[in-house]
Amino acid sequence: MTISHRGALRESERCLQCHDAPCTAACPAHINIPGFIIALRSGNIRGAAEEVRSANAFANVCGKVCPQEVFCQSVCLRAKQDSPVAIRELHFFATQWEAEHGFSVPRLPGATGKRVAVIGGGPAGFACAFGLVQRGISVNLFDRVTPGGVPRNSIPAFRLGDKEVESDTTFLSRFITITLGEITPFRFDELCADHDAVFVGVGLGRDRRLTIPGEELPGVIPVLRFLERAKSGDVVIRPGTRVVVVGGGNVSLDAAATAKRLGAEEVIVIYRRGVHEMRVWKAEMEEARRLGVTVRFFTAPVAVPGQTTVEGVRCCQTRLTDETDATGRRLPVVVPGSEFDVRADYVVVAIGQEPAAGFLHRLDRTPRGYVKVDAGLRTSLTGVYAGGDVVSGEGTIVEAVAQGADAARVIAASL
Amino acid sequence: MVLRPLTAAFRARRHTNFQRKNQAMINDRSPLLYPLRDLSYNFLGFRFENPFILAAAPSTDNLDMLRRAFAMGWGGAILKTTSVEGTRVDLAYPMMTAYSHEGTRLMGMGNIDLISEHHIDVVEKRVQTLKREFPGKFVAASIMAGRKEDWQALVRRLEEAGADLIECSFSCPQGTLGEDSGKMLAQSVGATETTARWVKEASSRVPISIKITPHVADIVKVAQAVQSSGCDALTASNSLQALMGVDIRTFVPFPQLGGSSTYSGLTGPAIKPITLRTIAEIARHVDLPILGTGGASTWNDAVEFMAVGAGVVQFCTAVMHHGFRVIDDLRNGLSHYLDEMQFQSPADIVGKALPHLVAHDNLPRRRVRSRIDERRCIGCEVCYLACRDGGHMAITRGEGRIPQVDRDLCVGCGLCEHVCPEECISMEDVRSQKEEKK
Repeated sequence: MTISHRGALRESERCLQCHDAPCTAACPAHINIPGFIIALRSGNIRGAAEEVRSANAFANVCGKVCPQEVFCQSVCLRAKQDSPVAIRELHFFATQWEAEHGFSVPRLPGATGKRVAVIGGGPAGFACAFGLVQRGISVNLFDRVTPGGVPRNSIPAFRLGDKEVESDTTFLSRFITITLGEITPFRFDELCADHDAVFVGVGLGRDRRLTIPGEELPGVIPVLRFLERAKSGDVVIRPGTRVVVVGGGNVSLDAAATAKRLGAEEVIVIYRRGVHEMRVWKAEMEEARRLGVTVRFFTAPVAVPGQTTVEGVRCCQTRLTDETDATGRRLPVVVPGSEFDVRADYVVVAIGQEPAAGFLHRLDRTPRGYVKVDAGLRTSLTGVYAGGDVVSGEGTIVEAVAQGADAARVIAASL
Repeated sequence: MVLRPLTAAFRARRHTNFQRKNQAMINDRSPLLYPLRDLSYNFLGFRFENPFILAAAPSTDNLDMLRRAFAMGWGGAILKTTSVEGTRVDLAYPMMTAYSHEGTRLMGMGNIDLISEHHIDVVEKRVQTLKREFPGKFVAASIMAGRKEDWQALVRRLEEAGADLIECSFSCPQGTLGEDSGKMLAQSVGATETTARWVKEASSRVPISIKITPHVADIVKVAQAVQSSGCDALTASNSLQALMGVDIRTFVPFPQLGGSSTYSGLTGPAIKPITLRTIAEIARHVDLPILGTGGASTWNDAVEFMAVGAGVVQFCTAVMHHGFRVIDDLRNGLSHYLDEMQFQSPADIVGKALPHLVAHDNLPRRRVRSRIDERRCIGCEVCYLACRDGGHMAITRGEGRIPQVDRDLCVGCGLCEHVCPEECISMEDVRSQKEEKK
């Protein structure tokens, strides 16, 4: 829901204008939140939008989908009096107003003659590119398909429309050269040779596999492909069917809600741990539950029975051990002899993603397959930097934006 | 199913981490992406960087605070009122009181502060230091004295020190250094003119502004007295004498100093309409530059002050509430406003509202009626009550809580428009309503 002009004014008056504001510290992009709110309060909406855009290149997208309960609003001190200020709504009101009334023209410094290649047109790539052009560095951005990354391709349309993504990418595209096409390892080497630095923000392109029997059946769909096809209108679910979504993250819930919206009769999310280990945003869970999605905890798939089509999912009960994984959550193990079948026509596999781009083998990787970087986002190759999901796994858009902007700072300082 | 809420400890830890890790980045903002337009213009023979000046107050009584304010973008400051050595400044604490109203914490602020405890020796040095460190900033001093020789000594010394203007407080409503305790100099037309002449005599270069009070029967007479004294400008106007409230259990008024209290000087948003009228009235009758002060807290307010005749606008309460950082939106908001209005400089605003001000007799007599935008009405019926008990009983309750205006009873007083929380009522010419009916 979009807040009205008067509503925005009223809400802005609730802001306490804290010093050393916790909201700004909690925002990965460090938007000067009290600053843009006081501008809204004085009726200076353009000034408010500029304040937001200065810190966050993907301003409209974040205004729509940023999990505010995890960041700014979770620490809003107004909540100690009554309820937190609706920061994200105010942010979106300002940036939306700017998009509708014409973008302010940023003043970019004269060209320094330096050139940087940015690979990947998602939040990290665009934020890095925008940060670089602000420092007089020209940018060639390369994207596989249409720029926009995760916000364009896999966030379901009911959460984020094309309008917001386009308004951001259109604005940002004015300042950079964009080339479409696959980056082969050979092309990657060329880019490294042709540019003063390279930033890799390709995100995660490949779904992790379950590696269980039956996974190759046509009804088993990796979640990214499922979300991309659903978003592009290439519907994959027949109405009245049963869908099992494997995995307990935000993306799983997105997929479950999407399946339900596409007409699935029954959607079950199975997750191998319990509710306490599930790290999802409130809004996502609420939306999934509102649509009638069921979640089965302590359940792991062991096989997908069926000859030519999916007939169901063979599952096992699990229990948590005392061992913990890298995220500090307890590891589950299968309870012997606890097998049972869940009926399903489709299985959506949403157990995480990994980087896909072929040229990434040129760079050192972490055990999970992500690109290894130091605190300055430098990779193992001199002059090559990386940020966003390809470095941190599945993160939020705003975190990717923040990393892109940080990388721009580091790159500019190094040239 | 219950989602695990973030625990307070987790939040606190995360917040500390954020702060530690990112403080450097917050400080290291990227180069200014949307630079401000030039806000400079000439006024009083000085090239002002922007029209936003700090008023003589606690914020301008400390060198480090002033340095910080200038570095953050304030266009200038009037250093807190000083006096000659030997003048006793006997402060009493606490001195500040908020006037809170319907959820607004600082609708107004009362103070029983007096002039600076720093005498001319200190202030003189501050003027020198600031002019040396910030030659482009407008550095003015405020003075207050009793005897002619004191007034003149203060002017000479500050002029010598390099002040860009000397503001003479003829109007501090709390303490007074005059003979007549409780009475302000600027309340006497004769005393104003005499004293203003003394001050002007002593200056050879520096412009003199007289800071006056709205507490007079005829502000124009006072302003004319200043004009005939030969002084260069007026500062309009000082805080208002006020009693900030009374504790209804102990009957001790605010501020409470033990069991005693006294009158305060009221500043802040509450006095803005009074200041606007004072500035407008002076600007309409006297041809003297005006430094506007008293109740401005946003760039909109500053534009209003300038539209009725102020050349620059002084700020105090807004800064005491939210810090020097309010300059960011003052400059940014004004910058966008000038673009929007296609004005060349802030000077273009000065006096823009004055041609629209006429005497009541000369107002057009047109027939207007209230019109409620039914699509936006939320059905609170506040307008209904206001009209029933404070207007002309012209609003009736309607279907689905949408009030209806009786066009025969409505005289168009405008009360409903201004009580409506959704601002969905407007006053329309009777003719246009008829035309619409056809």
